[in-house]
Amino acid sequence: MGEVFDSQLINTALRQATPLILAALGGLLSERTGVINIGLEGKILMGAFAGAYGALLTGSPWFGLGCAMWVGLLVALLHAIATQEFRTDHVVSGVAINLLALGLSTYLFRQLILPREERGLSSVVRGFEPLQAGWLVHVPVLGALVKDQTWLTLFAVLLPFILFWLLNHTRWGLRVDAVGNDAMKARTMGVPVKRVRYLGVLLSGVLAGMAGAFLTLASADQFRENMSAGRGFIALAALIFGRWHPLGAAGAAFGFGFFEALQMRLQGQPLFGLQLPTDLLLMLPYLLTVIALAGSFGRMKPPADLGN
Amino acid sequence: MRSLRKALSHAWMRWLLNALIGALVLFGTLTLLIALTGQPIGASYRILLQGAIGFPPGEQLTPLDAWDGVLHDMTLLLLTGLSVGLALQAGLFNIGASGQLLMGALVAAYLGVQQGIPAGLHLPLALLGGALAGALWAFIPALLKVWRGAHEVITTIMFNYIALYFTHWLVVEYLKDPAGAAPQTAPVLSGAQLPPLGSFIATSWGIVLAMGLALLLWATLYRTVWGYELRATGANRDAAEAAGIPTRRRMVEAMLLAGAFAGLAGAVEVCGVQYRFFEGFPSEYGFDGIAVALMGANHPGWTVLTAYALGALRNGAYNLHVVTGAPKEIAMIVQAALILYVAALRLRRGRLEG
Repeated sequence: MGEVFDSQLINTALRQATPLILAALGGLLSERTGVINIGLEGKILMGAFAGAYGALLTGSPWFGLGCAMWVGLLVALLHAIATQEFRTDHVVSGVAINLLALGLSTYLFRQLILPREERGLSSVVRGFEPLQAGWLVHVPVLGALVKDQTWLTLFAVLLPFILFWLLNHTRWGLRVDAVGNDAMKARTMGVPVKRVRYLGVLLSGVLAGMAGAFLTLASADQFRENMSAGRGFIALAALIFGRWHPLGAAGAAFGFGFFEALQMRLQGQPLFGLQLPTDLLLMLPYLLTVIALAGSFGRMKPPADLGN
Repeated sequence: MRSLRKALSHAWMRWLLNALIGALVLFGTLTLLIALTGQPIGASYRILLQGAIGFPPGEQLTPLDAWDGVLHDMTLLLLTGLSVGLALQAGLFNIGASGQLLMGALVAAYLGVQQGIPAGLHLPLALLGGALAGALWAFIPALLKVWRGAHEVITTIMFNYIALYFTHWLVVEYLKDPAGAAPQTAPVLSGAQLPPLGSFIATSWGIVLAMGLALLLWATLYRTVWGYELRATGANRDAAEAAGIPTRRRMVEAMLLAGAFAGLAGAVEVCGVQYRFFEGFPSEYGFDGIAVALMGANHPGWTVLTAYALGALRNGAYNLHVVTGAPKEIAMIVQAALILYVAALRLRRGRLEG
């Protein structure tokens, strides 16, 4: 029993949470400006593919990461143009983008990566090396947490605090909330509504692309069909559970990452003498989000102008 | 120039233009994706058509086999499309059709293996049970929507995943066929099976059931007070409320029915095609239903046509995949492009609903 909870579990949780935190914060930047972002899943998936293919071509994980961020940005641009120029329903556009990303990433995988495998070339990419923590590994708890982590995880841990500061202490942060809460009023006050929204949506694409790159460059080391496996929707759940707040969203994302780590650790072992089915543990983030949305606790308050 | 613009402003002219651009999006995307695989385009289109309409006749695929594949997909796409479209008519976005489909499929499979149910009752019971399970799965998000204002898009997405793990848990732990090791239920008894249309084709009576329900839904939506009130709720909830329509009630009812349609899709797939529930049961039809409904303008009649068209597209792309090895995801990409086009087009004129 004492074997279940230890610092190694938190270490795994941090790793599982990294893509969730990045994507959830991406979703936050988009939704705080009032643009609903159902398409996180698709952006992660396209980012994962671009990261793997870029790294495969050049042997450089940094180039792969760059590709992933660019591709995430391009997919986000599609969402921005659809919602801002054509005034498409945000949810419909997001659904279409998820479908497009699933189709396109699998299509490209079959066209570009599988033929390489058939020629006997490996599709395993050189991912990011773990950080050299130096003397830190000897510090009791912290050492176990940073062990074998890449700098992407470090970035994901710091980003919520950076965003928290930016959103609360800069003109840009004020504009984001002005646009997200009442776009019409913001416009009359001279805020460039469209520009603020474009920036928010595009940044969400960059971060979601990064989350995808983490999957192929710091976790699995190769791309596989539909490998995002619903992480975009867990990130969305974390965003809502964390009440559209950077620290809340990141905290929820970490919590959901913890469930994943716990599920991986337990693998059918009993917890507190109770046999917890894996499926129920995996279901937990979604169930908790529904309960949070339903309960009066926390009074979920989305940006007032979301979806308009 | 002026007369041209005037001619273009006619409603039917605009409709024609939109349809032409839509065809351009469809065939442009399709041609591009085929060209990128390096296959000859003309031959690829012939193979695609063989799968989609059974003509011109191919060596591998008889026209009847092609029709069977298309009608099978059309059945599921029609039921999930009606589900999404009906909810949209009431102003609700049901992204949860795939979860509702899974629940319906599991319950139908559970009921289908029960012994001792009178012969004539077994099939209707399994189908109804599936529909009811789907309705129940949509009921909770509907209640949360009208009571607590929880956005149905988010809750139905969450319920998709909950259904995925829930059904998986049940089929692995409790409902597994004891005769084998595979995570699947025992085959449903013959009394609970939907028979094929005839000895010549494998397609089940599910397609007739789905078409009949489309007709019934059309009549209910457009020829009854209840249907009018439901559509009024979706068109403008405040105005409907002011006119004395119980909008919350209508929204919950619409969502219940939408869930029933999606659940029935799962039940029909179990009773008419798969004869069991298994790990990885195809639930992506629930998402495809969104495309079907949007392109069908949420109208049951048009939904029949778009369900057929997308079923044909899927099977055409699948045949291309089987014959030439081209990625079968071509259909998915084309479908996404069509959704984006239709959404951009329709929302410029008015709202999503209606």
